[in-house]
Amino acid sequence: MIKVDNVSKRFGRFDAVKDVNVHVKKGSIYGLLGSNGAGKTTLLKIISGIIRADQGVPTIEGESIFEAPDVKKRVLFIPDQPYFFHQTSLMQMASFYEAVYDQWNGERFHQLYEHFALNPNALLSRMSKGMQRQAAFILTLSAMPDALILDEPFDGLDPVVRQQVKNLLIQDVSSREMTVLVSSHNLREMEDFCDAVGVMHKGGLLYERDLEELKTDISKLQVAFKKMPDESFLAGMDVVHYEKRGRVLTCIVRGTEDEIDRYVRSYEPAIYDVLPLTLEEIFTYEMGSVGYEIRNLIV
Amino acid sequence: MFTIDTRSRVPIYEQLTEKLKELIIREVMKEDEQLPSVRSLAQDLTINPNTIQKAYRELEREGYIYSIPGKGSFVSPVKNEINRERMEMLKKELERIVGEILFLGVPKDEVIRIINTMKEPERGSDDD
Repeated sequence: MIKVDNVSKRFGRFDAVKDVNVHVKKGSIYGLLGSNGAGKTTLLKIISGIIRADQGVPTIEGESIFEAPDVKKRVLFIPDQPYFFHQTSLMQMASFYEAVYDQWNGERFHQLYEHFALNPNALLSRMSKGMQRQAAFILTLSAMPDALILDEPFDGLDPVVRQQVKNLLIQDVSSREMTVLVSSHNLREMEDFCDAVGVMHKGGLLYERDLEELKTDISKLQVAFKKMPDESFLAGMDVVHYEKRGRVLTCIVRGTEDEIDRYVRSYEPAIYDVLPLTLEEIFTYEMGSVGYEIRNLIV
Repeated sequence: MFTIDTRSRVPIYEQLTEKLKELIIREVMKEDEQLPSVRSLAQDLTINPNTIQKAYRELEREGYIYSIPGKGSFVSPVKNEINRERMEMLKKELERIVGEILFLGVPKDEVIRIINTMKEPERGSDDD
């Protein structure tokens, strides 16, 4: 659905996005993760056709989006700060959206603003940050996009609204196979929401993976032995990180669960536990190798 | 029908398959009963539909459910295959527990005596 091949963008002497490849499948929710200044927003703006890449052409269902109004009618972008025309109300914005987006659904628009209890005739500029974001979601979802690009979408929303917005997005994903590309640095939240993730660091994409895949090929072991085996025990596994507290060893190990299980059991451990890793932990350990501190990443 | 613990370490996909397996093994969901559609479950639980799809595929692969194109997913008739897997799991658990009991110094005869006081369930038909 969304395909980005070797896309680069430079601002002056600064490489904002460098040789990035992103592939988002139709009907998938793809989380773009990374620290501040990693290039997430620039990449999203390139993909939604707002800025032109210096190199490479992002495509949506095989078509380039840059200055292509027909494609833009089906692909909507909510920036980190929602934009509305000066001195307009939700109703006035809706009539603009209706004129621009062919797939506009007026019935849905009414349903949504009533559901979120927003006054459609009040000035948007007088609304709070969270309400403005709700307004942006109402307008965007009423335009029935095929692909939705969201930059830090849940920022400023209270937990109840957050859950409702997520639920609305999920409904569109499951019923119309809408594709969602969402950037965030809230890993906890992305973990439950996405099915694929891409991680950006300093303008480049470190990797992109299926979330379940990512979680199944790395695990955390807690092992204790009556008699501690020698160094060869750790050397026999792909250990990312280990910690020894007394007689208990905690290791982060790459590999499939079966393989690890068979290997560890051959050493006859007294206590042996395998814990699934959280996305945050995967980051901490995987990123450690590129000199990337997780503490700077999580808010 | 069930809830998902988003605070848990266990991936949602695994929680889903485990919960559904439990419902099927304990026969809360009966043979040929229809599972909720991916769409409605996604909406009810606010979970990515692709995650649910994947859980269903896995359950189908393991023989717990079957799907009819255009109709949905249904609980498979109880198969020995499923029971065997569950039995293996329980046997291992039993070994671990008995091992611990013996380690703590309870004589083997005592363990056997406990087992002998237990009744085997009466079997109706060929499979259960």
